[in-house]
Amino acid sequence: MVFPFTAIVGQEQMKLGLTLNVIDPGIGGLLIMGEKGTGKSTAVRSLAELLPEIGVSRGCAFNCDPDGTALCSICAERVVKEGALKRETKKMRVVELPLGITEDRLVGTLDIEHALKHGEKRFEPGILADANRNFLYVDEVNLLEDHIIDLLLDSAAMGQNSVEREGVSFSHPARFILVGTMNPEEGDLRPQLMDRFGLCVHVESIRDKNLRIEILKRRSRFDDDPDGFFESVQSDQQVLSDEIIRSREHLAKVDFSEEILAKIVGITTEIHVDGHRSDIVILRAAKALASFRGRNNITTRDIGDVVPLALNHRLKRAPFEDAGSGRKKVEELLKRLDQD
Amino acid sequence: MSFCKLVGHKDAKLALILNLIDPGIGGVLLVGDKGTGKSTLARAVPRLLPERVPYVEVPLNVTEDALMGSINLEEAIRSGEHIFQPGLLARSQGGVLYIDDVNLLNVDMLNLVLNKHAFGNTTLPGNLIPSNSDFGFSLVASMNPEEGPISPKLIDHFGLCALFQTPANNGEKLRVLRLSSQNDPAEKRFIRFDARLKERIALARKLLKQVEVPAEHRAYAVETCLESGIEGHRGDIALERAARAYAAFCGSSVVTKEHMKKVLPLALVHRRREAGINQEEYQEQELPERENSSQQEQADSNNNETPDRDSGNNCCEAAVKPQSVEGHSKEEVFPVGNPFDVRRLLFQRDWVERCSSGRRTNTRFSGKGGRYVKSVFNSKVNDIAADATLRVAAPWQIQRGRTRNVIVYDEDLRFKQREKKMGHLVIFVVDCSGSMGAKKRMIETKGAVLSLLMDCYHKRDKVSLIAFRKDRAEIILPPTTSVDFASRKLKEVPVGGKTPLSAALFTTSNLIKQIRIKDPLIRFVVAIVSDCRANQGISDMPVREEVSKSAAILRDARNTDFIVVDTEDKSTLMRMDLARSLASELHADYFTTEDLKAEYLAGLVFNRKL
Repeated sequence: MVFPFTAIVGQEQMKLGLTLNVIDPGIGGLLIMGEKGTGKSTAVRSLAELLPEIGVSRGCAFNCDPDGTALCSICAERVVKEGALKRETKKMRVVELPLGITEDRLVGTLDIEHALKHGEKRFEPGILADANRNFLYVDEVNLLEDHIIDLLLDSAAMGQNSVEREGVSFSHPARFILVGTMNPEEGDLRPQLMDRFGLCVHVESIRDKNLRIEILKRRSRFDDDPDGFFESVQSDQQVLSDEIIRSREHLAKVDFSEEILAKIVGITTEIHVDGHRSDIVILRAAKALASFRGRNNITTRDIGDVVPLALNHRLKRAPFEDAGSGRKKVEELLKRLDQD
Repeated sequence: MSFCKLVGHKDAKLALILNLIDPGIGGVLLVGDKGTGKSTLARAVPRLLPERVPYVEVPLNVTEDALMGSINLEEAIRSGEHIFQPGLLARSQGGVLYIDDVNLLNVDMLNLVLNKHAFGNTTLPGNLIPSNSDFGFSLVASMNPEEGPISPKLIDHFGLCALFQTPANNGEKLRVLRLSSQNDPAEKRFIRFDARLKERIALARKLLKQVEVPAEHRAYAVETCLESGIEGHRGDIALERAARAYAAFCGSSVVTKEHMKKVLPLALVHRRREAGINQEEYQEQELPERENSSQQEQADSNNNETPDRDSGNNCCEAAVKPQSVEGHSKEEVFPVGNPFDVRRLLFQRDWVERCSSGRRTNTRFSGKGGRYVKSVFNSKVNDIAADATLRVAAPWQIQRGRTRNVIVYDEDLRFKQREKKMGHLVIFVVDCSGSMGAKKRMIETKGAVLSLLMDCYHKRDKVSLIAFRKDRAEIILPPTTSVDFASRKLKEVPVGGKTPLSAALFTTSNLIKQIRIKDPLIRFVVAIVSDCRANQGISDMPVREEVSKSAAILRDARNTDFIVVDTEDKSTLMRMDLARSLASELHADYFTTEDLKAEYLAGLVFNRKL
């Protein structure tokens, strides 16, 4: 049993980053940088626990969405043959990516022995198959082999895993919420890869004494009587879960003005962020946040709240420059945004 | 061996007992030198467990299958049914899981164990493994830090930690010796003790949930953790739980401050901020020495000015302990000089198969990635080369009676040999002695090291920094891929004192040895950046001789290449070219800082011998 999400004290930025990604997985995942023992892993697992079950195509190794259009090769064939897919419901899971993973375990590969001995091509699903429509949690993403991160972020961006190797040609949807953690002291993540994560938060342990006591209290109540503790926060959990479902459905209705777009572009131009990804992410995240707050339009406040998450890891710096200077700039920009 | 019979180590015993009372504390890590009884004590734990409670040891070569359980293949083939064979973790459920030499265990496996311990159910790739089994076990691990480091992140997962030291007083040593030779009759007494302890633990377990933690003591736990600057929240939690378990053990239904204080060292000793501690130790070591060092420096600079000093003079200096003398420190921190593009450094490829990435040197690759170079008969990975296999099988098809499918026998199978680029682990051994301070040579040297670091960044090498000065060499940065972090460390390095070159060479060989235990295939590059004017020994041997001997030891390290960057000022009459002779002793590539620059030797390619 995992500690309930709504009972986690503090770490608001991390919780916000996760929630926005759940509302709109298109945001592109969350990179959590920071200290050990700050509840990174707990937050992800408990959020998955809180979310409602998802409908999947029955018996499909790739958790295809029976109502969706993105289907794996097998389900697509089945739709053609049988007209519709049978469904079942499954709990969302947190699929973990082990550090020493190989390329073929990640993307899947041709079951070559089977192919050679029986003359049939059979696809052996990899971790990306498991991760479809789930969370993919990569602990210490900075220590992962370069080519693995490349592959991972590629399929995250495409929402699809296409395997073309050893004569097998197979593709299946791979839409997952990518959550990576890293401790920057143990190694760098190339800026190009960092950029692929939609949002990024820094977590630190809480220094406020009273909050820390509260953490201890809740933790000990949870450890003594997990069921009882769950019951006590059940209504909060339900509220959040409902909110998320509502926000997802409402998402398409959120609108934005030209003025808002100009503001976003203004910010990213001023601090010289490379590429367009940051603009797109800010807009998507602000949209998700507006929807979460029950509004039909994006406000300046929404933007102000998501900008730090979207720019934390995109601030440009020379290879050996310290990270602090850029962050100050963002803070100043946000202050100005408030005044406008 | 009886649990109670083991002499001393009260901390460790208490930690183990508390962890049995409340496995949720998060496990116990026993840290100590070899032969101090860590494993003996851990293996005595079953004596305290109720009957039929499992006690499982994790071997170092454990595989994921063995830990998590797997499908019984034989059964699957025979009956066509998937029968699940439980792994070590499942077998330890409700009992104790013990990992000896945990720092040598594969990191992925350790992560798996720690995750299971913290979260019970994590989902595993592959749908066949039942996900409803709940693993609750108490975790015990032991390690000898000499054998290799373990990441602070992993250490933090352990709730409690107890340090084992060889007892300082002879009385305790004598008791150990006496008891070790005793035979059966006395053993019975200890068996009784164990049984009593077992009962007490069982009682404490029952009492545990009723034990209350008063608000002020909870606040005390938080304050203590805040004050000692501990990262994360695991410290608070472990401290409170341990205090609670201890209260239960004492038969008290309320946690008191004494309970808290008793378990405090166990819960926090391994969580203190590592970098911070090093920094403090660093400074502590420096302060008392500061006065002494100025004399050394004077001697040092005198030596520099008298080029005709003989080595006999040096060895005297090394043997004589520095005396205290008046004067102020000349210690200085120099800025980093301008970096430049480094010429291409080439290392010969070897024939070891690895599973690593990077961009420096070609290597055979043991995984399924990389370029398919040729097909071979056997391979550890099941990476079949279809083209080659078919070519082998093709001529026999008629004889084998092929109708539709190609008939392939096991002996036809061919596997892919793959190649990839890899990065190295580059260990920078940087001279920070007083002589480097002369004419701001350190600025230029730091610039050269920074340039090499940037080259390492491009080639995706790992780097490590060893600085030597005064009477010792220190690893100021353990291996990391963060070149950024390394360059920051480089900035901070102070200069001053003598040149303990042999200490540096020894430290380097030891570091290589330690890392090799964990990762035997890694390729090392040792980059020695110094003028090599050694004048501080670590033994009674003459300094020059000591340097040659330690160089000979270092040279024999496998999979290691050497570079010597000479920082001596070549324009003066005082040049000694000692770095050149060290380079020839190490069979190293020799550069002056000038030759390192790309434009000087562009196009000229040196192929190294291995």
